[in-house]
Amino acid sequence: MWWYIGRRALQAIPVLLGSTFLIYALVFLQPGDPIAALFGEKPVSDAVRDQIAAQYNLDKPFIVQWLLYLKGILTLDFGIAYSGRPVTELLADALPVTLRLAFMALVIEAVLGIAAGFYAGLRRGKLFDSTMLVVSLVVIAIPIFVFGFLMQLVFGVRLGWVPITAGQNAGFRELLVPAIVLGLVSFAYVLRLTRTSVVENLMADHVRTARAKGVSDRDVNRRHVLRNSLIPVTTYLGADLGTLMAGAIVTEGIFNIPGIGNLAYQAILRGEGSTVVSVVTVMVLIYIIMSLVVDLLYAALDPRIRYA
Amino acid sequence: MRLTRRTRLAGVALVAVGSLVLAACGGGGDEGDSTDAVITSYSVQPQNPLVPTNTNEVGGGNIVDLIFAGLVSYSIDGETELEVAESIESDDNQTWTVTIEEGWEFSDGTPVTANSFVDAWNYGANPENEQLSAYFFYPIEGTSGDGTIEGGGDEISGLEVIDERTFTITLKQAESDFPGRLGYSAYFPLPESAFEDIEAFGDAPVGNGPYDLEALENNVEARLVPSETYPEDGNRPARNGGVTLKFYTDPDAAYSDVLAGNLDVLDQVPPSALTTYENDDIQAFKEAGSPNATITIPSSLPGFGENDEGKLRRAAISRAINREEITDAIFDGSRIPAKDFSSPLMPGYTEDIEGNEVLEFDEAEAQDLWEQANEIAEFDGEFVLAYNGDGPGNREWVEAVVNQINNVLDIGAEPQAFPTFAELRERVTDRSIGTAFRTGWQPDYPSIYNYLGPIFGTGAGSNDGDYSNAEFDDTIQRAAGAQDDEERYELLAEAQAILMEDLPAIPLWNTGIAAAAAQGVENVEFNWQNRPELQNVTK
Repeated sequence: MWWYIGRRALQAIPVLLGSTFLIYALVFLQPGDPIAALFGEKPVSDAVRDQIAAQYNLDKPFIVQWLLYLKGILTLDFGIAYSGRPVTELLADALPVTLRLAFMALVIEAVLGIAAGFYAGLRRGKLFDSTMLVVSLVVIAIPIFVFGFLMQLVFGVRLGWVPITAGQNAGFRELLVPAIVLGLVSFAYVLRLTRTSVVENLMADHVRTARAKGVSDRDVNRRHVLRNSLIPVTTYLGADLGTLMAGAIVTEGIFNIPGIGNLAYQAILRGEGSTVVSVVTVMVLIYIIMSLVVDLLYAALDPRIRYA
Repeated sequence: MRLTRRTRLAGVALVAVGSLVLAACGGGGDEGDSTDAVITSYSVQPQNPLVPTNTNEVGGGNIVDLIFAGLVSYSIDGETELEVAESIESDDNQTWTVTIEEGWEFSDGTPVTANSFVDAWNYGANPENEQLSAYFFYPIEGTSGDGTIEGGGDEISGLEVIDERTFTITLKQAESDFPGRLGYSAYFPLPESAFEDIEAFGDAPVGNGPYDLEALENNVEARLVPSETYPEDGNRPARNGGVTLKFYTDPDAAYSDVLAGNLDVLDQVPPSALTTYENDDIQAFKEAGSPNATITIPSSLPGFGENDEGKLRRAAISRAINREEITDAIFDGSRIPAKDFSSPLMPGYTEDIEGNEVLEFDEAEAQDLWEQANEIAEFDGEFVLAYNGDGPGNREWVEAVVNQINNVLDIGAEPQAFPTFAELRERVTDRSIGTAFRTGWQPDYPSIYNYLGPIFGTGAGSNDGDYSNAEFDDTIQRAAGAQDDEERYELLAEAQAILMEDLPAIPLWNTGIAAAAAQGVENVEFNWQNRPELQNVTK
């Protein structure tokens, strides 16, 4: 298994190189002069402009800028933002809250989605199943910000049950509603995936065999149906953590959570390449790690899968 | 029933989530009416170290304005009042002698001296220090047009320290309302300790203003507490127990907080709430503000040169725009149609500028003017209006203006979008734009002169349309040298009358103040910068 992990880690290198190159190129190609924007509408002296350009490598050709940035990353130096703060510091500020939020959303959608999906699958065609079908349709069809504002208005402003805005030091209490909002859509997908999977597995040969052997309903459902049904769901959940983090920007905006979505957005507006690419690099790393974790989980769920 | 345990589990999970939601309620009791109450206000994360000369955006500006005091301060209606200065005098409006009042201290206990100002300004104007607000020093002798020290170096030649409490400022040219500039944050003093480690100072600034910065938590809030060293007879004493500036990424979230009473003051109601905020359970504020919006038509555009034809065409376009309709329909009355080139908040403002009827919508007149221009020369150019799409509401109003122009004049006018403000400015600055474009001005200090000189003076720093008119230059020059306010206001009105005729830019409207305060919050007033005077707010 270690050999497998090592090989996957090596495969990550070209992925990282390619993605940073692409993003850096996009930021570089973005029109506009970041130095002029920095000074608002006021005139800038040429000497100051040259100094700043030199400081942020803006005066060098694109490839050189990118290589310099890569060189920095190797020494864990992600560059300096236009504000003078190191990008690592900005990331250290913004990443934890987004991670907390995404993990909470992931747990919520996984627990509720699998539970509801499993039950709906077992009771196929019954009232619970059809109710969940409608609920998931509604959830998928309505944009996330509608839920965000609605829940904020109802639970925060009108009822006053939960804090309205979270902030960067937000804990469990502040992040609960944002996490529910963020996890809602994925909850619907997890629910449907689980349900379909359960329905399929209920008709599978090995389940019929188990029943014929006289294994109790409970054990059949738990050991043979649920466990096998979890494989596609696990794939989805693994990839979803990254999606949740990257897609959190809308939820983060509504609940005032200054996470990495907001960091990237502001940096794009300022044309601050080093920050944008650093955020993306972190996201790519998270995707790579999560997909590795998912692959390893397969082995745990399905004994037929072995990594050598 | 199958799966009872599992259903129970799911049920338990649901109940647990539900009860957590319930447990999260409570808290947030009412605070009594008291001068000790800490006021919370909307702000954004500062983008730069908190050095006054390096603070050119709202997030940092909100903090810096409260923790520093300048030579002068501004009253709520924009009048200039002496603050740290005992007197600012000049015989010729060109060499100013500043005397500092005794008894001013920084919160670290060191006195505020002439050097506190001169050193801070020298630091700010030194190009090596790359200060973002260096531009504001441009009126002073020894700086170039962008405000940095001419030819480099670390001293502005126009500043001279006479003694501990006296220094002189020599300007490039006479400017009668120069003291009005000195309340702007770029002109704030710095204590000696700042220069020992300016980086550390930027994180934890020490000022001489009504508040001290107790803590700055990045992306969360800045906590300001009343300063003990600020004189009791200062112009802006703290009337509350402190100010906490909460940083938001989105005004929508802040508005929800005001609705629930979690935030006291929000100086910027989000567009989503503009139509409804006056009926919500909050205190709503709606007033005229200082920034204006204009359309600059470069004199190099075919058909719009500085001649009779150009003037007629500009006037025709101005009269074809129905400002009221747009401010009502698109901005819900949050912008106020312009009557001049400045703002109603400025001292000396008048609605009776000669020739300002050109800013009123008149279809027949517009068509007539355009016809007259066509008699001079046939129009074979085009009218394109460029804007930056990243500004909220820009696309809507630009398209509305273009439609109005086409409805009235039928000249095939078109909008042109640039994705970002930076890109639009780049094309404007290097003069490659080749179309009319949206412009706006936020004054550096409360003065009509500031809306005219830097924008329409020949060769001035922000003269994006390359306008040049000797008569205007002369009038504005005389206004700058005027000995009393009356005379100055009169000359400024004259200068504006010239602009009404030439229309180098077409004034559209002033951005209004659309603000909200939670119920129970008192003494919320907005200054010439559209910002609340937070030191006066109580609850």
